[in-house]
Amino acid sequence: MTDPATSASAATSAIAASALKAQQARMRVIAENIANADSGAVTPGGDPYRRQTPLFSPTKVEGGGTGVAMTGVRPDQTPFHTEYNPGAPGADAKGMVKMPNVDPLTEMMDMREAQRAYQANLNVIENQRSMDNNTLGIIKK
Amino acid sequence: MDLNAIPLFAMLKGKMTHTAERQRVIAQNIANADVPDYAPRDLKPFSFDQQLKSVQSSQALAVSQTSPGHMAMPDSAPQASLDSVDAPDSEVRLDGNHVVLEEQMVKMNSAQSDYAAAVSYYEQSLSLLKMAATKPGG
Repeated sequence: MTDPATSASAATSAIAASALKAQQARMRVIAENIANADSGAVTPGGDPYRRQTPLFSPTKVEGGGTGVAMTGVRPDQTPFHTEYNPGAPGADAKGMVKMPNVDPLTEMMDMREAQRAYQANLNVIENQRSMDNNTLGIIKK
Repeated sequence: MDLNAIPLFAMLKGKMTHTAERQRVIAQNIANADVPDYAPRDLKPFSFDQQLKSVQSSQALAVSQTSPGHMAMPDSAPQASLDSVDAPDSEVRLDGNHVVLEEQMVKMNSAQSDYAAAVSYYEQSLSLLKMAATKPGG
């Protein structure tokens, strides 16, 4: 028989770990967006890099409970902006090049939010560990 | 010796189980703090009166075993209510998520200190038992 107290403690860590993983994946998507902020169109009339947004959804974890997982990415449908750069290979007849719909400011805010969420979940794990240590303390007496 | 047969220990165990479970529910809320339309949950508060009643009734109804052939009563240690209920935080984001990280952090820390309190009380009670079992002056 598993003791409800110990299984709750394992589940707590599993839930927080699933969230750490999801936030990590979100960071990766943000990094891709920032890295490609200047990946403009390479052929005239072609599309540049399109910003990706992460999709989060609740997921069951081992030990019972609902963790979270990044289940995919969705392309951001906001329009591209254009830039005058007649020398670029992707420039059209008027010298305009389509540039990605990535706004570095938005990405920075998103990154900071991912960081905060990561910290919050790390706090959960640390908290859980100190509770487990409390329990172990009974043995030492 | 089954420590849970002693009402005090049974109650402390109930409190610890309740707090550990609460910590799990809060971890769930924090993990889902970025999921659209997620509403946080929390356990019903731990009720001392209810626990006390269930401890007393389990004691009153216990049947004594007078022969080795008698079957033991099923584990009658009181169970704290571990049902979770919706517990929305004070704000709702535009994406419909109700989780406010700060409020969840406060709840998590209060669960942690509740747990620490229950554990230290458990230790205290254990040392009382130990004192009673030790030879005077030994």
